[in-house]
Amino acid sequence: MNKVSLTRRKFLLSTGIAATGLIVGCSVTRANEIGYSTVAGAFEPNSFIQITSDSEVIFYLPNNEMGQGILDGLTTLIAEELRVEPGAIDVRHAQRHEDYTNPEMGMQATGGSNAVRGQFLPLRQAAANAAAAVRNAAAQQLNVAADKIVLVNGMVDVDGKRYPYGQFASLAATLPVPENATLRSAEQFDQIGRERPRLDALAKSTGTALFGIDAEVDDLLRAVVVRSPVIGASLISFDATEARKQSGVVAVLEIRNGVAVVAESYWQARKAAALVDIQWSKTELSSWSSDTLYEKFVETLNDTSQKGLECCNEGEGGSLLENSAIVAVADYYAPYLAHATMEPMNCTVQIDGDRCAIYVGTQSVQVSAGAAVYYGDFDADKVAMHPAFLGGGFGRRVIGDDVAEAVVIAKQTGRNIQVVWSREDDMTADFYRPAALVRMQAGVSEQGVIETWAVRRVGPNTMNYVLDEWVDALAPDFLNKRFVNWLSKFPHSLFNRFVADPSSGDGIYTDYDTANKAVYHVTQDPGLRTGFWRSVGNSSNAFFKESFIDELAHRVGMDEVQFRLANMQKNPRLKKATELAAAKANWGQPLPAGHFHGLATHSSFGSAVAQIAEVSIENNTIVVHRVTAAIDCGMVVNPGIVRDQVEGGIIYGLTAALYGEVTLRDGVVQETNFHTYPMLRMAQAPTVDVHIVDSQEHPEGVGEPGLPPIAPAVANAIFKATGQRLRTLPLKLS
Amino acid sequence: MIRFQLNNNPVDVDVDPDTPLLWVVRDHFKLKGSKFGCGMGLCGACTMHMNGAAVRTCTLPVAAVQGASITTIEGLGTPDKLHPLQQAWVEHSVPQCGYCQSGQLMSASALLATNPNPSDADIDTAMNGNICRCGTYGKIKLAIKAGAQAINSATVQTFDPRAVETQS
Repeated sequence: MNKVSLTRRKFLLSTGIAATGLIVGCSVTRANEIGYSTVAGAFEPNSFIQITSDSEVIFYLPNNEMGQGILDGLTTLIAEELRVEPGAIDVRHAQRHEDYTNPEMGMQATGGSNAVRGQFLPLRQAAANAAAAVRNAAAQQLNVAADKIVLVNGMVDVDGKRYPYGQFASLAATLPVPENATLRSAEQFDQIGRERPRLDALAKSTGTALFGIDAEVDDLLRAVVVRSPVIGASLISFDATEARKQSGVVAVLEIRNGVAVVAESYWQARKAAALVDIQWSKTELSSWSSDTLYEKFVETLNDTSQKGLECCNEGEGGSLLENSAIVAVADYYAPYLAHATMEPMNCTVQIDGDRCAIYVGTQSVQVSAGAAVYYGDFDADKVAMHPAFLGGGFGRRVIGDDVAEAVVIAKQTGRNIQVVWSREDDMTADFYRPAALVRMQAGVSEQGVIETWAVRRVGPNTMNYVLDEWVDALAPDFLNKRFVNWLSKFPHSLFNRFVADPSSGDGIYTDYDTANKAVYHVTQDPGLRTGFWRSVGNSSNAFFKESFIDELAHRVGMDEVQFRLANMQKNPRLKKATELAAAKANWGQPLPAGHFHGLATHSSFGSAVAQIAEVSIENNTIVVHRVTAAIDCGMVVNPGIVRDQVEGGIIYGLTAALYGEVTLRDGVVQETNFHTYPMLRMAQAPTVDVHIVDSQEHPEGVGEPGLPPIAPAVANAIFKATGQRLRTLPLKLS
Repeated sequence: MIRFQLNNNPVDVDVDPDTPLLWVVRDHFKLKGSKFGCGMGLCGACTMHMNGAAVRTCTLPVAAVQGASITTIEGLGTPDKLHPLQQAWVEHSVPQCGYCQSGQLMSASALLATNPNPSDADIDTAMNGNICRCGTYGKIKLAIKAGAQAINSATVQTFDPRAVETQS
């Protein structure tokens, strides 16, 4: 990583089409400026850092900022070791390059709450090496011993006399860069762990932060795509006679997944698109509606001749279930969900002969670039990526389908194109969180020891549809396209038939000390495409697990906190989080009349979270007043952002718990906009208190772990309030 | 030709009169701070001020703003000259993804213009049309109160010579 090769620099430069006409906002961090550029006389120790002779420090952000605060988090890591203020660093979105590969994922992508965890050491090392190189250059140039030099706030300090870093950039560029400079110890940290306003707050409070939808290039036409109401159906024929007559319409064309209407303005394209008459084929999905699908799930759940794919089988599995003093069985259900990012999907393509530039908010610059290469038939080195801020990601912006459409339209028309999805497009052509029907079974001793834990899941998998898209976008250049086409249907059958999708069992069997565990997943997939949704399998599995754990505690007759603590001896992090949440919420103490506490605990993405929801029922409506949360996420880079992410996860999860449900009628998604797929609004948002367990362990995830416990915490409180055990999401009182 | 004031500048535009104001501002005048979220007036990302009142511009035909005064987030304040609410937004690190925040700020500033000391219930009511998917509601409420306080204390401290003359 630290070897700066000329080839790499050339690669990064050669792809760039000048960002003509792009409005550059005046953000604090200048994260709107894009791409790598070599500056004369600058010190460029690695792909992440540049120090110019004017003492400008530039950081190329390898992950994408979608609200989770990674711009802030990773810049802080650089600032800590480079000895500069985070706010003084010019942060830019990284281009597509293997040097920006996510260390945990093996691809250039943002997801799985792993950015700080994965980059905590590599980025600090990159910055520490750069700092050591500046020190060495300064020692040589000033002719002083290196140990006389102190780096402070972007300055080289020698006995109180200070020189800006830039004075040594030219010399540093000619010297070898140390590879294993000593990192600062936790006791020395003065940036990591410090609470500080977000670096992108100014740009995002003044309308100057640039999102993908804000891209402007010269001669830009807008396109609207009419996609099949049943996702995946093919176009048989279409009549665009009326659409073509509308003012501003430039072209109406068939693309791989529908009909694109291209016009001078978005509004013209949108109006004309409504006039296109299209005949679609029928697919297997066309025969499914939510009620028939649920009946099929029930039938499959009960058909134990279908064993399913093994997610887990430990000890004696489920075979000793009936031997326990207490045997509990309960079925739970969670529906399909849409992501509903605030920024609807969109992509802008600037085309220039055999080259193109892609402007998009993406969770994977690599997938987006790959989609342009594959669907637009561009050479990989002719595609320039201009990643932007994401108006929400939550797992939706990692697939490349947005780019695929836009490059095809740009290629076919030979024009610069922006495709803007309407909210209806966004909601009805998502990659949905899969539904699941689950039979939870447990054997518990009279003393409250969980002896057997057996789960049988029925539903679609998570990863197969995404992987189908990824194979196309990520296939290496040396594979021929026909082979890639064949390969791209492989992950689908792999997960549906041969290997359990790891997402399906996420978090459903790992938190409690049970000797005998068995988790099996039976794939029942109507063909509605699925994908990663904030916290993935944990989003539904935590609801099943933590509601059922509450049922077990009640069967045994134990307090819900005590029952959990007794059964999580091997899970010290979750234990600490549970104890902290219980203490901060005054668990067991009297609440206002009609208010009840519900608890849920769940580990995901390396972090442990406990939440206690204070709930009342008013006019047969569920009211969540307050959520007290505790998280153990290891060492904290910015406590404010950790608290915000946990609170944000709670609000996102509460929307799903109270309202979230995507339904099908004859294969068509029925929820189209915020009136049929409602969101939690301010008046319904609870007060959230987040407490962080003090820890010096390696940092873990925070973007997702706050979400999973909220639905069961609320459901468990509702049980106490009403005696109703709600086993179906969204939570509805009878 | 439709004429109106955009951030205190007279502008005119010749587009289909049913074009929503949002798209005119974003794509014709290239002011990108106001966002498209739903196209049905349900999420508030497109909120601007029309003669001082918060309006959802994704459903407001540009023909309807003939002669009106329109303010967008760019007219509320700039990075160099922040509106007190924007200052509070920054100090409290309100935005996460940030996409909805222009709309949130326009709704909040319209509220404070008519109600300098809003209660929690007033805030809930005024902000009910603005969705935030990242869940920044708690921070927004906090920042509205901080912004209100900043505006009110600045108002109290302002020295108005005319007032002195009247008294003497």
